[in-house]
Amino acid sequence: MRPFDYYEATSLEEAVSLLGRYDGRASILAGGTDLLVEMKEGLRAPACLVNIKRIPGLDELSYTPGEGLRIGAAVTVRQVERHPAVRQHYAGLAQAACQLGSVQVRNRATVVGNICRASPSADTAPPLIADGALVCLFGADGTRTVPLEEFFTGPGQTVLRAHEIVTELRLPDPIPHTGQVYLKHGRRLAMELATVGVAVSLTLQDEICTRVRIVLGAVAPTPIRASEAEAVLEGRSPDSTLVSMAAVKAQEASRPIDDVRSSAAYRRQMVRVLTLRALEQALTRARQEDSP
Amino acid sequence: MKRLIRLYVNGEPHEVLVPVYRTLLDVLREELGLTGTKKGCDVGDCGACTILLNGEPVNACLVLAVEADGTQVDTIEGLAQVGEEGVRLHPLQESFLRLGAAQCGFCTPGMIMAARALLAENPSPSEEAVRFAIAGNICRCTGYTKIVQAILYAANREVM
Amino acid sequence: MSRGFSTIGVGHPRIDAIEKVTGKARYAADFSLPGMLYGKIKRSPHAHARVLSIDAEKALALEGVKAVLTPWDVPRVLHTGAPAPRLGSLRADQLVLTDVARFVGDGVAAVAATTEEIAEAALDLIEVQYEILPAVFTVEEARRPGAPLIHGTEGNLVMPPIIVQAGDVEAGFAEADLVLEATYHTGRPSHCYMEPNACLCYFDESGTLTIWASTQCAFMVRGILSEVLGLPLHKVRVVVKHMGGGFGAKQDLYQHEFVCALLARRTGRPVKMVYSRKEVFMATKTRHPVSITLKQGVKRDGTITARQALYVSNTGGYASHGPGITAVGTIDMTSLYRCNENWRLEGRSVYTNAPIAGAFRGYGAVQSFFALDVQMDELAEMVGMNPLDFRLKNAVGEGDPSPSGHRLRADALAACLRRGAEEVRWHERWQPPEVKTGRVRWGLGIGTEMHSSGAYPDIKEQSNAILKMNEDGTVQLLTGAADLGTGAHTVLAQIAAEELGMPLANIRVVSGDTDMVPFDIGAYASRTTYVAGSAVQRAAAELRQRLLALAGEKLGCEATTLEIRDGEIRRQGQVLLSVAELVRGEGGRPAVALMAQATYEAKVAYSFAAHFAEVEVDTETGMVRVTKVVAVHEIGKAINPLGVEGQIEGGIQQGIGHSLTEDLVLDPETGAPLNAGFVDYKMPLAPDMPEIRVIILEEAPDPDSPFGAKGVGEDPIMAIGPAIANAVYNATGVRFRELPITPDKLLARLREQGETDTA
Repeated sequence: MRPFDYYEATSLEEAVSLLGRYDGRASILAGGTDLLVEMKEGLRAPACLVNIKRIPGLDELSYTPGEGLRIGAAVTVRQVERHPAVRQHYAGLAQAACQLGSVQVRNRATVVGNICRASPSADTAPPLIADGALVCLFGADGTRTVPLEEFFTGPGQTVLRAHEIVTELRLPDPIPHTGQVYLKHGRRLAMELATVGVAVSLTLQDEICTRVRIVLGAVAPTPIRASEAEAVLEGRSPDSTLVSMAAVKAQEASRPIDDVRSSAAYRRQMVRVLTLRALEQALTRARQEDSP
Repeated sequence: MKRLIRLYVNGEPHEVLVPVYRTLLDVLREELGLTGTKKGCDVGDCGACTILLNGEPVNACLVLAVEADGTQVDTIEGLAQVGEEGVRLHPLQESFLRLGAAQCGFCTPGMIMAARALLAENPSPSEEAVRFAIAGNICRCTGYTKIVQAILYAANREVM
Repeated sequence: MSRGFSTIGVGHPRIDAIEKVTGKARYAADFSLPGMLYGKIKRSPHAHARVLSIDAEKALALEGVKAVLTPWDVPRVLHTGAPAPRLGSLRADQLVLTDVARFVGDGVAAVAATTEEIAEAALDLIEVQYEILPAVFTVEEARRPGAPLIHGTEGNLVMPPIIVQAGDVEAGFAEADLVLEATYHTGRPSHCYMEPNACLCYFDESGTLTIWASTQCAFMVRGILSEVLGLPLHKVRVVVKHMGGGFGAKQDLYQHEFVCALLARRTGRPVKMVYSRKEVFMATKTRHPVSITLKQGVKRDGTITARQALYVSNTGGYASHGPGITAVGTIDMTSLYRCNENWRLEGRSVYTNAPIAGAFRGYGAVQSFFALDVQMDELAEMVGMNPLDFRLKNAVGEGDPSPSGHRLRADALAACLRRGAEEVRWHERWQPPEVKTGRVRWGLGIGTEMHSSGAYPDIKEQSNAILKMNEDGTVQLLTGAADLGTGAHTVLAQIAAEELGMPLANIRVVSGDTDMVPFDIGAYASRTTYVAGSAVQRAAAELRQRLLALAGEKLGCEATTLEIRDGEIRRQGQVLLSVAELVRGEGGRPAVALMAQATYEAKVAYSFAAHFAEVEVDTETGMVRVTKVVAVHEIGKAINPLGVEGQIEGGIQQGIGHSLTEDLVLDPETGAPLNAGFVDYKMPLAPDMPEIRVIILEEAPDPDSPFGAKGVGEDPIMAIGPAIANAVYNATGVRFRELPITPDKLLARLREQGETDTA
């Protein structure tokens, strides 16, 4: 690794001012599991690292009934994976969290970092989008909130402005009778970067799909919602024909690339297979949820 | 840029002046001479450098030494008890030794530390839980068979 | 205790396990010396390029940089990089630092600096001007007329083709009812030993080089370093303490070993070099990608009448073991299954600008047996026989020729097949692919193999052992054999203890320092138990005789009436005195100096195996999951069953990887590896591994080996590949003649068969 300056910010203001001082040549250090690897491999050479883990409040992970879940920027993937409320109310996110890298990596990596890295294959992004997550930002001009769905603009690209920091993610309390699922395709059972990731959040009331979110990872420059696939099911009573149709629509929505992990053609086929399976599992979960 | 940091390694305090860009792994190995923690990939993919940081397993290659300032660091060297009657191995060390779970031995320290963290959290894990807990620790010699057996054996024998 | 043995046949924990589980075991990179510098190699980003000039001025100006070496600053001695002459010989085609890069990652310059970070920064400051040359990555490209000649050899052939023939192939095919010809391809797996290549070098005041290295062949490293650096052998000392795996790749020398010594000489300071994982992937070795066109004739009764094959290996930028693996891979197709002794086999090895391929567990035969055993399945189906019965009909046995030219001594292959079939209840559970339906389909397949214990007669195998008796009855066993993680030293100690009649605890193995231990050619080809073990047994037998003679003298009786058990001299079961009492000095007189040494030059012994793999194939995703492997190995005698099981289980893990997920993929434009890291080079991890049932048979002990033991290290990786490919066929009806079997390929083939829904 090349030498750099290092600061441990004690407030958001200090962190933002450090970013300003280095004018684009400073990087935020939270988990570091991607950043340090990229620095070791010479892909990034920041002049300064601003460690934000000691800023009070950023380690908050809390669930409040009626309000939902807050995940601070310093909260690790492992904390999210273990949190009882996440397991109970955000099953898709819990599934994604426990499939991200190794235990060792999850003990360092943060969920917010997973989002800020803006990799198309980021595991936590599809379930967070499906659950309607909001991104809270802090910058020199104050705070603002952006739906996660609108946060990504391309591989490694987000709407984050210069000298702006993501402080937390907020998820609404899930609607009763919602089934959430995240399925990931990789060659092994663990330690995989998703070749395809599919998150489904599906609310079933009196056997009618009142809200459907189908979010695809690793098959476009950013995680994407398969809106036409959602439309197939929304407002209707789901049956196997409709579920198959939705899976086909999801496949049509995907725009994957060829790379060393998989061919584009194979990824497209897996979008259909995984969407079908995710929908089936989400329906089962929604039906199991008798009462809120 | 250098910083003076304080680490509690295997219960002992150490003050070390470290360049900010140096990883905890390099500081343990090069500055403190604790070479039991291995460098197999240096990018968090192999688990050979697994240590416990405040009790949680992490890849020491993905932690800057400065980030670890003030923390408790446990490495393989601190696992066996040395007392009047000589060296008393930890149950995991004992079971790895007896059941043939160490072949070339390069993954062994990291593997044992990952297993120790698992058993601290879940004293009687299923075989599946063991396999997923060490998914981030690559072994190229054993096929994992005897490693999994050794962890299960240690779990059944003694609560960590 | 079994069959009257006291120490062997028991699963003893490894003698070095205590160091490994406590973190005290020291590997090459764990050594440091005061004033030590760190070395790094500047590598070519081009697969084929001439170095026109190197400007090191800026690098040398960087504070902390102590030396830069270019191809013109180092001895220009061509060397083989790979030790031990084999059939087809080696080619001296490598330089310490090259002025013509022949693969992406070929080293062209080197630097030593006070820290690793400064050395890395200096690499970027070394300016290299290249003339880019046209590059070829596949055998097809390299063989095309007008292709760039990588080492100036005609058609880029590494050596003249190897031709092995017997009988009359044409007559054999004429006699056949059916003939099948097909081409089989294997991938480019990487060894992925967990310990990256590393060394530490320093020169003392007498000009003696000491190198701490991670090598399977310490004496070969000594020999080649001495040759290239122009040092006499007594001024090169190679030290290997613990090794973090090698699997064949650490038989070779790499640029760092030469460069590190030269940097140490240039700077007068110790220098350490450790490869990054990426360097290990791109600049060490891979298995040889091989294509085998195999043609066999078969009669309706299942008799194979003739075999013809063309074996072509892609050896990459340098020959390394290309000639050796091609010779072994070609010759090994004379065996495993009979073909009326009619064969014509040809082997070629071809230079390309791909990463260097080298020795890798299973040495050329992995590829041959994949082709042969998959085709056995195909032929069985053609003649309408059950794949098990067809193999039993044709399995080689006593009196059949073996690749070494000797006749086999037992029917051990058939024994492995029968025992495995019984274990998996083959006749109850095996059904043809036509009856398999459903989304997830189960399949069962067989793979087989045989391997000699050592590389005799290709190599004049030689090992030595020295046993030194201490005055308290304990023994130092000096061996040059490496233990790259296999447990070899434990086995050698067990052999010594057994032969001497002493407890295992009384033996200490001294190894890994060429100044102290007798010559050994190295650890490869499943030879250590057999060859080094024989030397140990002979030395121990001699020491035992001398102890008994001494005891006879002291007790006033015939030595032949005495024996040693548990460290005690006995006559007809009665303990007369302990060995310690026998050898200790008395009345101020020193103890008798007792030392024995022996040399063993190998003969030939074969081990056999049959693997039965069970798979589940998801026909919607093309994912294959190996759910169980039954591995039956005939190895004569298991000196240490715990170690044997470990070898087999680990070999199966590597073989599952080779068959399903592991392949170093090259960019077709640049030749650079696209997956040079553990994220995208996918080895099976703990959750991916199936249940493995190891069955050890001891039906055919070898008369020339220690207690009948034969080798086992190479064996398991050879049988598992065809077992998986045949199981996938059995589950789906899709025949794979190539490895790895990837989900996208399998899914595409299922669709061609019209077996899945097409949305």
